[in-house]
Amino acid sequence: MIKATNITHYYNNDLALKDINLEINKGEFIAIIGESGSGKSTLLSILSTLLSPSSGELTFEDMKYKDIKNIDKFRQINIGFIFQFHYLIDYLDIKDNLKIANEKASNEEIINLLDLLDIKELLTKYPSEISGGQRQRVAIARAMVNNPTVIFADEPTGNLDSKNSLKVFELFKELSDKGTTVIVATHDLTLAKKADKIYEVKDGQL
Amino acid sequence: MLNNAIKALKANTLKTTLIYLSLIFSIVSIFLISSISSGIISMYSSMLKSDGDIIITQAKISDTFFSNVDIKLIEKINTLSGVKNVSAMIVGASPVEALPIVAVYGVTQNRFKNYKLISNNYPKQNEALVGKAIYKHLKNKKIITIADKEFKISGIFTSDIGFENGSVVLNINQAGEIYSKSASMIMVNSKIDFTIDKLIKEIKTLDNNIDVKSTDNFVNNYNQFKIIKTSSTVISLIAFCMGLLGIVSIMSITINQRKSEFGIKRALGIPMRRIIYTIMCESFILGFLSFLSAFFISELALYFIKNSSHLQGYVNGEITSSLAFSIFITSILMALIGSIIPALNAAYTDPVILIQGNKI
Repeated sequence: MIKATNITHYYNNDLALKDINLEINKGEFIAIIGESGSGKSTLLSILSTLLSPSSGELTFEDMKYKDIKNIDKFRQINIGFIFQFHYLIDYLDIKDNLKIANEKASNEEIINLLDLLDIKELLTKYPSEISGGQRQRVAIARAMVNNPTVIFADEPTGNLDSKNSLKVFELFKELSDKGTTVIVATHDLTLAKKADKIYEVKDGQL
Repeated sequence: MLNNAIKALKANTLKTTLIYLSLIFSIVSIFLISSISSGIISMYSSMLKSDGDIIITQAKISDTFFSNVDIKLIEKINTLSGVKNVSAMIVGASPVEALPIVAVYGVTQNRFKNYKLISNNYPKQNEALVGKAIYKHLKNKKIITIADKEFKISGIFTSDIGFENGSVVLNINQAGEIYSKSASMIMVNSKIDFTIDKLIKEIKTLDNNIDVKSTDNFVNNYNQFKIIKTSSTVISLIAFCMGLLGIVSIMSITINQRKSEFGIKRALGIPMRRIIYTIMCESFILGFLSFLSAFFISELALYFIKNSSHLQGYVNGEITSSLAFSIFITSILMALIGSIIPALNAAYTDPVILIQGNKI
C-alpha cells in the first residue's frame, strides 16, 4: 500500500535518512524503532506526507506522492495522526475536538468511537478535565474519526505510564486486525514487539 | 465555525481583552475626531446658511474675522429684484470676566430672530443679549463688559447651533465701534424663483471691493474647514494605524501560542484557507463588538462634551448614521486587515513541528 524507494533526506546539509526502501501492506501493524535522533520521526513524517524527501520516490496505492494534487484532502481521507503529545485543542470539548478532524461525523458516530475506546463518558469534557491516558485515547479517537486507511503514530506512549502504553498498543493491534494500517515510531522495544513487523532506523538507515 | 471562534476568543481572555481595548481606543478616537470636526463645520455652516444663500465678504480677505464690508451696501442690494432679505454681521471675540475668549456677534436687527429668547428682550443701544451657556458663567448677571465697554444684559437666548450659546450678541453698530469695522459679512437671501448665480453677478457690479459667493461655495472653500477636515483625516488615519498595529502584534503573539492547534489542523488536512477564515472570524467578532462598544462610549463622551459648561457649547459632535456606517466599515476593515499577517502565519504552520514536541 505504501512503498518507499531510495528515500534520502537532508536537513540543510545534514544527512537524516539514507537510501530507505520500505513496503507496507494494508492492515499491517508496523513499528519503527530507533534511538533518539536516529531518523525514525523523519521517516514517519515523510511516509505520512508531512515532509517531502530530498530524493527518492513514494507511492500510496500505486499513486506517486508527488502526483497528489490536493494533499490536504488526501490527508483528510486517508491518514490519521497521533503524536507524543495529544495536541487536543483546550478550548473545545472532546466532541468538538473530534469534529475538527471530521466535521461531517455525526454525534452517534463520535459516541460509538469513544465507546470503542472506552471513553464514552468524556464526550462533553474538556481536555483539562481528563487524565493524560484519557487525552491520548481521545487523540487516537481523533486519528480514527475520519476512518483513515493508515494511522501514523509518533512516540504515542511517550507521555504515558506502562499500563496505559500497553493499552494503546493493544488498541493499535485491534485496529490493524480490523484492516487499518498502523505505523508507529517508538523507542520502546517491548511495546514494539506487539507489532507485526519491526524496522530499526540507525544513523538514518533502515 | 462562529461558535468555535467565540470559544477561542474566550480561551485567550487576556489577549482578547487587549485586542478589544486596542480596537475600542482606536475606534473611539476616530468617532470623536470625526464627529467633533464635522460638528464644528456643520455648526458654522448652519450659522452661515441660516440667513443667506449668498455671502459677501471683503475682496481678497480669506477670513471672515478680518473682512470689512461697507454696511451701506445693504441698501443697494435691497434694490435688486431677486433679493428677499439682507442681513449683516460682525464676527469678533473678547474676554468676558474670567473667560479668556468669547465670541461676539454684532448683527442687524432682522437677524435677531435667529436667537431664540429664553428670557426678557432683544438688545437695544448699550445692551447685550447673552447665550445660555455664557450666562451660566457670569458672576454679574446684569452687566457684561466687552472690550472695556459695559453693556446691560437685555436677555438670554438659546440657539440650535451649539457654539452660539457661548456667545454675546450686540447691535451691529456698537460691535462696529468696538471692532472698528462696518460689517464682517453681508448675507443675502434670494427669492425662490431667482437664480443665485444671476444675483451674485448683479451684486458684484455694485462694489469692486467685495467678494460674492454662494453660501455653499463659501463653506466648501473655507480654508479653516479644510484645515479641520485634513487634521481630522490625519488623526483618524493615525488612530486606524495604531489600532491596526495593536491587532497585528497581539494577534501574532496569540497565534504563536496556538501553533500546535494550527499544526494539528494542518496535519489533519484542514486547508489553509479554512484556518485563515477561522482567524478572520475571530477578528470579525472582535471588530464588531469593539465597534458597538466604541459607538456607545463615543455617544456618552459626546453627550458630556456637549453639556460641559467648561466648553460653553463650542465643541459639539454628532454621530450621524452615515458616519456610524463608515466607521463600522473602517472598524471591520481594521480588524480584518490587522489579522491577515497572523492568519497567514497560522495557515503556514508546518505540521512537522508537532513531531518536535516540546520545542513548539
